[in-house]
Amino acid sequence: MMFSSRLFKLEFTRSLKSLITWSLSIGLTMVFVIVLYPMVIDIYSAIPAEYQAFLDAFGGVPHNVVEYYATEGVMMLQLFGGIFAALEGYNALNRDDKEKTVECIYQLPYSRTAILTTKLVKVIVNVLVFSIVVYFMSILSFLVIGESYDGGDFLLFNVYNTIMFLMLAILGFVLVVFMKPTQKSMGAIAFPFVFYIISVISSVTNNETLELLKHVTPFTFANPVDILKLGADFEWISFVVFTGLSILLTVAAYWRFQKREFTV
Amino acid sequence: MRLLYAISITSLKKYYGKTRGLENASLDVKEGEIYGFVGPNGSGKTTLTRILLGLIHSTSGEAKIFDQDVTKASVLLNRQIGYLPSEAFFFPEMKVKDVFRFFQEMRKVDDSRIVELVKRFDIDMNKTMDQLSFGNKKKVGIVVALLHNPKLLVLDEPTTGLDPLMQQIFLDLLVEEKKKGVTVFLSSHILSEVEKVCDRVALIRDGIIYQVFEMNDIAQLENKKVSLFPSLEGELPDGMTFLKEEDGLSHYSYIGDINSLLKRLSGQTFEKCNIRDASLEEIFIQYYQKEGATNDVL
Repeated sequence: MMFSSRLFKLEFTRSLKSLITWSLSIGLTMVFVIVLYPMVIDIYSAIPAEYQAFLDAFGGVPHNVVEYYATEGVMMLQLFGGIFAALEGYNALNRDDKEKTVECIYQLPYSRTAILTTKLVKVIVNVLVFSIVVYFMSILSFLVIGESYDGGDFLLFNVYNTIMFLMLAILGFVLVVFMKPTQKSMGAIAFPFVFYIISVISSVTNNETLELLKHVTPFTFANPVDILKLGADFEWISFVVFTGLSILLTVAAYWRFQKREFTV
Repeated sequence: MRLLYAISITSLKKYYGKTRGLENASLDVKEGEIYGFVGPNGSGKTTLTRILLGLIHSTSGEAKIFDQDVTKASVLLNRQIGYLPSEAFFFPEMKVKDVFRFFQEMRKVDDSRIVELVKRFDIDMNKTMDQLSFGNKKKVGIVVALLHNPKLLVLDEPTTGLDPLMQQIFLDLLVEEKKKGVTVFLSSHILSEVEKVCDRVALIRDGIIYQVFEMNDIAQLENKKVSLFPSLEGELPDGMTFLKEEDGLSHYSYIGDINSLLKRLSGQTFEKCNIRDASLEEIFIQYYQKEGATNDVL
C-alpha cells in the first residue's frame, strides 16, 4: 500500500487548527485590503509625479480593483502564504521528530514510502484548501464592494500562485529529509523570504545580470502585476526551473528517506 | 529439522560515526521464549531494538525476524511485532481513546483486546496524552504494543515508570502471552523483572554482548551470599570470597556445594549467620566487575 487514508485523516485533523488559523488570517487580510479600495482610490491620483516612478517599480498606479489587489494585496498573500506553505511542508515530517512520535508512527505496518506519500498528500491538500479559502474570500470582497473584475485572469493568477505555494511546500518538505531531526524550523521560514527578495531585486534593477535572477525564484511566474495588470507573457523559464527542481528534490527525498535513521 | 528462531542476529555492528553502538553482536531468540537483554544505560540495548524494528540501519551484519531480513521485510514484520519503546510518546493533544482508535484502525483489529487491556491496566481513556504521567503513558504504550495480538513482543525498558502493582500485572501478562506462544524480547536494566520471567538472558555492555545465560543454569550455579559474625577464622574454603565488612557482619560470596560449606562453618561458633541465594543482580554485578570480561565476547 502506497498511501494510508487513516494516517492521512490523523495528519489532516492534527493540522486543522493551524490550517484554519492561517487561511482565515490571510483571507481576512485580503478582505481588508480589497474593501479599502473605494476609500483609497482617490489617494493615487493625489500622489506627486516624482513618486510615480518609484511606484512603477512595484507595479505602478492601479487603475481598477484587480490591479490594486495585484500591487497592494498580493505581496502579503505571497509572503505569508509562502511561509505557511513552507512551514506546512517542513512540519509534516519535523513534527514527528519534535514530538518524538517517530517510533510510534514508523512501527506501523506501512512502508516509509507509504508514510512519506501520505504526509506529502496531506501537505498538498492543506495548501490547496488554504488557496481556495483565500481565493473565495477575495472574490467575496470584490462582490461586497461591487467592483467588476476579470474572473479569468484572477483565477489564472491564483492557479499560478497556488502552484508556487505547492513548490515552496515541497521545498520545505524535502528540506527536513536532508536535515538533522533536531533542526529548528527557522530554515523553512527563511527561504520564501529569500526567494521573494530575489524576485524584488530582479524586478526593480536595470542591471541585466541581476535581472537574470528572476529565473531562480518561483515568485516570477506568479508575478501578480505581470498577470493581472500588464498581461505579460508567462514566465516559462522560472516555471520550468522550479517544476524540475521540485520533481528532482522529491525523488531525492524519497531515496534519502529510506536511509533515514530514527534515533529520537 | 532446522530450529526456527523468532530473532536471529549474526555479527551485527552499528556505529554512529565513530561511536560504537553495537559490536559484532550475535544472538538467537527461540520462538515462544522470553529473552532478556540486560545491560546498563547506554550499553546498546535500544540500538539493537531499533535495528530490529527497522528504525535504524546496521553498519554490517545480519538481523532476521522469523527468518526474514529486517531491512527487506519491515512492513510484513511490523504486522507481527508489538513494540514498546522505552519512552512512549504519542500525539500529545489527543485523548487516549482516540490514540487507541487510531492504532486499532491502522492495525485493522477489533476493540475486544483494547477493552480487556484497558481494564487490566486501569487506564483513563478520556484524558489527553499530555495530561498523563510517564507511567500512564507507558501503560498506553503497552496496550498499543499488544492490541493486535503480535507473535513477537519487543519491549524496551517496559516497566520503567510503572508502580509495583502495575509491574506485577505486566509481568503476569508476559507469562500469559508466552503460554499463548508469543515470543518476548525484553530489554531491561532491572534484573528483578528479568529474573522473574525470562527463560534466557544476554548481557551487554559498551555495545558488546558478553554472555548468554539460561536462567535454569543460573539457578543451579549455587551462588550464595554468606554473612557472619564473627568473621570466619583461618583460610577460606574453596569457592568462598570475602566481599566486605558492613553493619557489623563479614560478607562473603560462595560458589560450590552447600554441604561442604555447612561442614566448614560448623567448626566455629557464630553469633550471627545468614546464608542465602545470590540474586541475579548480585551475580551480574559481580560479573560486570570482573576484570577481563571483554575477552569473553560471544
